Amino acid sequence: MSFFRNVSIALVAAFAFNSAIAADIKLPDYQTVTLDNGATVLLMPRKDVPLVAANIAVRGGALADAAGKEGTADLLGEMLSKGAGSRSALQFAQTVDGAGGSLGFGSSREAIIANAQFLSKDSALMLSLLADALLRPTMDSAEFDKLRKRAIDGIANAKDSDPRQLIGTYTGGWLFRGHPYGRSTGGDETSLATITLSDLQAFRQQQMGGDRLIIAIAGDFDATAVTAQLKQSFGAWPKASGGLPAVEAKARETGRRVLLIDKPGATQTYFALANVGSKRGDPAEAAQDLVQTAFGGRFTSMLNTELRVKSGLTYGARSGIERASQPGPVAISSFTKTETTKAAIDLAIATLDRLHKDGLDAATIDSAKRYVAGQYAPGLETAPQLAAQLVDMTLYGDSRETIDGYLGNIAAATPAQIAAARAVFPESKDLAIVAIGDAATIRDVIKSYGPLTEMKLTDPRFSPN
Amino acid sequence: MRLLSLACAIALGLSSVAAQAATPQPSAKVPGSEAIVSKTLANGLKIVVWPDHDIPNANYYTFYKVGSRNEYPGITGLAHYFEHMMFNGTTKRAPGEFDRQMEAAGGSNNASTSNDLTIYTDWFPSSALETIFDLEGDRMANLSFDPKVVESEREVVFSERRSSIDNDNFGTLMEQMQATAWTAHPYQFPTIGWPSDIEGWKLDDLKKFFKTYYAPNNAVLVVAGDVDPAQVFALADKYLASLPKQPEPTPITTVEPEQQGERRLVVERADAQSPIVAYAFHSGIGAGSKEFPTLELLTTILSQGESSRLHQRLVEKEQAATQAGAFAEAGFDPGLLWIYAMLPPGGDMAKVETLLDDELAKVARDGVTAAELDKARNLKASAFWRGMATINGKARALGTYEVFNGDYRKLFDAPAAYDAVTAADVQALAKKILRIQNRTTGLLKPVAAAATAADKEAAK
Repeated sequence: MSFFRNVSIALVAAFAFNSAIAADIKLPDYQTVTLDNGATVLLMPRKDVPLVAANIAVRGGALADAAGKEGTADLLGEMLSKGAGSRSALQFAQTVDGAGGSLGFGSSREAIIANAQFLSKDSALMLSLLADALLRPTMDSAEFDKLRKRAIDGIANAKDSDPRQLIGTYTGGWLFRGHPYGRSTGGDETSLATITLSDLQAFRQQQMGGDRLIIAIAGDFDATAVTAQLKQSFGAWPKASGGLPAVEAKARETGRRVLLIDKPGATQTYFALANVGSKRGDPAEAAQDLVQTAFGGRFTSMLNTELRVKSGLTYGARSGIERASQPGPVAISSFTKTETTKAAIDLAIATLDRLHKDGLDAATIDSAKRYVAGQYAPGLETAPQLAAQLVDMTLYGDSRETIDGYLGNIAAATPAQIAAARAVFPESKDLAIVAIGDAATIRDVIKSYGPLTEMKLTDPRFSPN
Repeated sequence: MRLLSLACAIALGLSSVAAQAATPQPSAKVPGSEAIVSKTLANGLKIVVWPDHDIPNANYYTFYKVGSRNEYPGITGLAHYFEHMMFNGTTKRAPGEFDRQMEAAGGSNNASTSNDLTIYTDWFPSSALETIFDLEGDRMANLSFDPKVVESEREVVFSERRSSIDNDNFGTLMEQMQATAWTAHPYQFPTIGWPSDIEGWKLDDLKKFFKTYYAPNNAVLVVAGDVDPAQVFALADKYLASLPKQPEPTPITTVEPEQQGERRLVVERADAQSPIVAYAFHSGIGAGSKEFPTLELLTTILSQGESSRLHQRLVEKEQAATQAGAFAEAGFDPGLLWIYAMLPPGGDMAKVETLLDDELAKVARDGVTAAELDKARNLKASAFWRGMATINGKARALGTYEVFNGDYRKLFDAPAAYDAVTAADVQALAKKILRIQNRTTGLLKPVAAAATAADKEAAK
């Protein structure tokens, strides 16, 4: 096992976007084709390595899950490749692996998604497998039973593993209690157990179809051949019969509430402080990203400097902003040994207070601008990254200016705009707080931050009710 | 998307270096590889440069040939702790300045320590190249240790240990198995260190370690990206050429005696839901060995993809596990081949052992098919090209080949090596290593009563 100096921010941050002020970083050329049924096809041929990548979104996703059946879209996504067209689940897997390819389905909050990457010579095979999975899934009941059980058991496995993986799910559930954004896209042990194969069939009928499809192909491929194949494969896919799920914005919360998740015997407490933040297309996005970088988005951020570098309380402390169609969570998260739970949470809160009280000085702003600019291009380097970017832009109705103009906005952000953008982070009096740890030891400390609700890590849910 | 259990993440992480060693198709040539140049400074520092101007960024990788393999009881974890200290101040720069100056120039960094290597990486816009050389040259020449920082960083490492090992069941089990599988060789030490050793390092240990291992002749520097090799070499002359050569570190000569019977261990976990069954076999093969490609293909056939043998048998057919996998260690000395299965709550560990035994026996008894071998080669080819798609992957691959195979150019000879592997080779290797006498078996067993936190973290 390798041990790293710090966990890559990119692995954890929802969408930290970063690169050189001087450099002109733009999306490579691509073409957009709209099929007769409304499907959007995006093509970005690039000669680099002999690989071809596909990224797919089918609008709808986990937000369309029925209440109490959270995880439906995600399970459906996974079912699509468990036998499709003329291939059984095993034959499908053998075909993918046999070609050295990778192909995975799942669901995000707003779309059922697929990623695939194959050797260039197999681009036709890749597209035919994707078409089979989306249009002709077998939906075998034995495969479904296995998949559902494995999804439930997998959550138990995860609860026995590093709690850093779970804190985000619990935090989203606690902050967005009673709101669609509070649901776990993968569901939980309780909701998964109620889902049936016919739920999946119904979901597919209502929430999947040609009019919902966005497909981007990037890498080394023949645009003419691929366009023809995509038209033939997806052009006749009928429309989805249902409506897109609509979501109301959740207002920022005032006051505090605290959730303690008991992991008996835990030697470390994992905590998050959250509230509602910002949404896609927020005009203050660039200024907010600069605040996020300086406050909790890099190694020398205020949070990591205080909690790790100066005090040795933790291996890492960070913040994150997650933007969706409506405002998503903004959160501070860290972890510390059980005995220093209070010291670490107090210091995180004091650091948040300092951000609001003192703001960022000119040198910090300048450094943050250079950092964001310098780290931007590697996020747009590979075919899978670029394909994902094209799909993401299309899903949210953004133009290429979102990418091409980003660093210009970063450079142009004024001190006044950056000062105002601090408001994306809540005041410390207004926090939804989550802690995973040894409740017997830390209960009194955690209680001191606000009205307390408790649950166990082993409860078959990610939220207390 | 569903959560990826850490076991899976660890397996992926561990196989990532090996994956770089995959094969391009024989006919394929890596575009731009003809532009790679290398040079060795008089002080022994080998430098490899791969210019690639696709994006206006570059990276700077320093591979030091030191890891937990170079430790001994009392200083376990020192290589990793030292990795943390490399960021914490020099005679010219106060603690924290390294990161502040790098980030202000648009760069970010990380570092990792394993059994064999300590790797430092900087990712930056190419405009920051000289700043990076200045920072790196300074810490190679003038590292200093502020006693206050030494103490605070100890706590940081403890926190890292709690997340990766103590509060992660697979991490706990692997640490115990590693300590059991090796009786003589220093691969027995956990890279992060035993808790009492993390407490125990002295300033003198750090100073000695720096002088011994952080020498230009014990390092390889790789720069890939939007750079001009001539400029890289000029900056190396300016910032690195004056570093003094050091005596070669004492080689690690211990050879693990052959294992003569199964070793079994159990870790009991009070708050656990999911049992884990894991095997560690001595592979007898190091990363630079001619046989390493055979080991990789065997591991791939066993564990990679949904069509792999272990997944099909344990997860799909029998539903005895939620995940099953395998990964082979790649180091200077022969390492372990790990096989693991994560069970559902209440899962039957004995049944899982029986199934694993049966699958492993089958490979040894009946060999692998031509289709499986082709599949494994194709998976390796894709992984190779994924590595070649980024400047980061290019630098990693060059450095990995340079340190383990003695020459970065061997990266491009890999196709022949993979193509030369026959089904008979894979079967012979399976027969040789997948024996119960050659195995350490680890069981993570959920138990009823809760242990107290105090018992769990002695001395902290």
